[in-house]
Amino acid sequence: MLLYLTKRLGLSVVVICAVVLVLFSLLHLIPGDPATIALGPRATPEAITRYAAKMHLDEPIWRQFLIYIGNVVIGDLGVDVFSDRLVTRIIGERIGFTLTLVAAGMGWAMLLGIPLGCLAAVQPNTWLDRITGVLSVGTIAVPSFLVSIWALLIFAVQLRWLPAIGAGEPGDLADQAVHLILPAFAIGLSWVGYLARMVRASMLEVMGETYIRAARAFGLAPRRVIFGYALRVAILPTITLIGMGFGGLISSTVFAEIIFARPGIGKLIFDSVMARNFPVVQGAVLVATALYIAIVLLSDLLIARLDPRVRESL
Amino acid sequence: MTYSGLTRRGFLASTAAVGALGLLPYNTRIAKAAAGGTLRLRFDGDNDVLDPGYMTGGIEIETQKQCLPFLAQYTRSEDSFGWEPTYFVTRLEQRDPTHIDFELADGLVWTNGYGPVKASDVKYSYERMKGTDWSGYFDALDHVEVTGDRSGTIVLDKPFAPFIMITLCHGPGAVLSEQAMKDAGGKFTTEFPAICGPYLYEQTPGQRAMFTPNPDWSGPKPAFDTVQANIITEVKAAELAFEAGELDCTEVGADTLARYTKKMPEGAGITVAGELQYMWLGMNTEHPKLKDQKVRRAIQHAVDVDSILVGAYSGTTAKSYGIICPGLIGQRNRTKYYSYDPAKARALLDEAGVSGLSLTLRTLNNQERMLAAQIVQANLGAVGISVKVLPLDSGPFWEMGQEKKGETWKDLELWLMRFGTTPDPYEATQWFVSSQVGVWNWERWTSEEFDRLYDEGITETDEAKRAAIYVRMQEIMEETGAYVWINHEPEAFVHSTDVVVNAAPSGELNYRRFEKA
Repeated sequence: MLLYLTKRLGLSVVVICAVVLVLFSLLHLIPGDPATIALGPRATPEAITRYAAKMHLDEPIWRQFLIYIGNVVIGDLGVDVFSDRLVTRIIGERIGFTLTLVAAGMGWAMLLGIPLGCLAAVQPNTWLDRITGVLSVGTIAVPSFLVSIWALLIFAVQLRWLPAIGAGEPGDLADQAVHLILPAFAIGLSWVGYLARMVRASMLEVMGETYIRAARAFGLAPRRVIFGYALRVAILPTITLIGMGFGGLISSTVFAEIIFARPGIGKLIFDSVMARNFPVVQGAVLVATALYIAIVLLSDLLIARLDPRVRESL
Repeated sequence: MTYSGLTRRGFLASTAAVGALGLLPYNTRIAKAAAGGTLRLRFDGDNDVLDPGYMTGGIEIETQKQCLPFLAQYTRSEDSFGWEPTYFVTRLEQRDPTHIDFELADGLVWTNGYGPVKASDVKYSYERMKGTDWSGYFDALDHVEVTGDRSGTIVLDKPFAPFIMITLCHGPGAVLSEQAMKDAGGKFTTEFPAICGPYLYEQTPGQRAMFTPNPDWSGPKPAFDTVQANIITEVKAAELAFEAGELDCTEVGADTLARYTKKMPEGAGITVAGELQYMWLGMNTEHPKLKDQKVRRAIQHAVDVDSILVGAYSGTTAKSYGIICPGLIGQRNRTKYYSYDPAKARALLDEAGVSGLSLTLRTLNNQERMLAAQIVQANLGAVGISVKVLPLDSGPFWEMGQEKKGETWKDLELWLMRFGTTPDPYEATQWFVSSQVGVWNWERWTSEEFDRLYDEGITETDEAKRAAIYVRMQEIMEETGAYVWINHEPEAFVHSTDVVVNAAPSGELNYRRFEKA
């Protein structure tokens, strides 16, 4: 287990190094002078000189790279070129909103998708299974930005049941929860389908296993057989999917965050790209990548913990 | 077989309960927002630098106008812009072309215990600007003479007619507390060292900015107790938020403006702040394919500007006849040297002995510009000129005509360009003087008469004479054949009919001058 963990951590470091390299190259690969691109066409020569010095653009590229790597290693992601605020602080202010949104989106998708998958599996080829199948494919096929816009138009603009923008009153948890409903619905909807399909497929496979038939033969209650025995095994591949989905949602919440004007890491990256605020783009992408890797690693470790077969194979 | 303890009755009851919970808090919230004295607006991003010397502009200027004193503010009559003294001064007079006297109002106090607003604060603020990123607005400033605690004179080193309109009314004209700035180290970013205005300011990054009543403010009470500016990056999201009743006022894009013009949402109105952007089709007069003025004139005749206004801008923009925007001194209402006439364009090309001409049209890669470029492509195709449209990202686009940024300027043929300006004709003309060739004058023509008129326009204080100067300057530009004037895009705001919007001609809102209808 320790060896496995060490290997995975080593691999994670390699991935992060590759991301750092790509992020650093980003600044130099974009056509045009980085300072002019960042500050706009009418920036004064003084402002351009100040920006170049702040970003070490007046140094040779290899030295810029070393400075950047050195700073990343000590957790210094630089400063916002416009406001001079620390990038780590800016990301810290936003990351909580994204994690909350992802947790809410994935949370409701799990609460609905997993039971739906179970029900479809225990009643295969019934109307319930068919409806679940159609709904699953339907929700997977509709992109989340479209769901966001429809949800906003229907529930906020037309019916005015739910708020259209923002993250709610700071300190008011109820208001924040109400503001979470539409974006969480939008990003979680396709995951209901994914999870239902995945759980159904796994459950069907597991339900045919000998030990399930044995459990039934012993006269155990159907609910105990399904949730106590079958689902415990069938959920394992779903955990991997949830882990990857959770990680992926961190950056793909960008549409929901833009459409619902919510603060978050995705919107921060989008805004910073539009403003050519390179240190913030680099820092936010790096943090999102690190989070993704950490979550996938955690889900793999969880599977190893839950499944003795995986644990023994490590 | 039973899979759960949920009964049909239980399911219906819990669904109804969840539905009721969803309904209750939101309707209450809307009611509270509507009943209170809160004005709800949009910010297109966070304020990064509120220091007038180092700001970007836009919402940062909006914020300054609520929290810092200004000596002058914009006025608008039916078809022109002007200025008037603000509440912060009891006197603001241009004594002669180089002296502007002012007297600050009594009782103005800075927050954080920095005492009354003094003439020395004005001196500090304006003289400091000469060493900042916005120094261009203070080129003409020599010094500020303090004649009393609250009185002084702004002394210019040369006559500069637009000083009040583009400097004192605009963001760079904000006054700071000298002592507070010294205590803050001479510069600040997102927290004002001291405020003197009707509102205090607080920003929650990524979420919103709040303007709350300033207890030290002794001036006129604004119509709205508080202003909540929500950070909404995308204009489309803001439009939806307005339609959902969560904003009282927001900027709208060209397509939405067209939609609202046809069918306005109930209880909504449109206010156009100004049209201080000018767009044109530019031609490089030094390029071998375009060196012959007859060819350029043919292109001027071949482009159907009216089609561009309808096809690319849904008829929401004003037709342009030059670089001086609507409402400003010197705006023209017709072209002098060309009109849409494809037959004449063909004749001119024949006269020039040109056939099979192919040109490249460069444009920014946004929707309206691309549509406009395609219409130009079709128009020129109709007279036998084949055009390749080359869309560019903003980085390479803004560098392509600048000699210092590479060699692209040599290959430039046609391009669609849009500049923004301030409410005085001087700024729009400054980019086309001889010294700007290879900088912003990408058409690369020079005219001694134009340069001379530019200098005269800056110092001339007689409005009629200034108007004549700027009309003539635009005629010179048009005569080169290097320009097809296209449009002036409006800064348009949709708002609740309960609200009377106040905006600068360049589109910055001034919340303390908003009114309740």
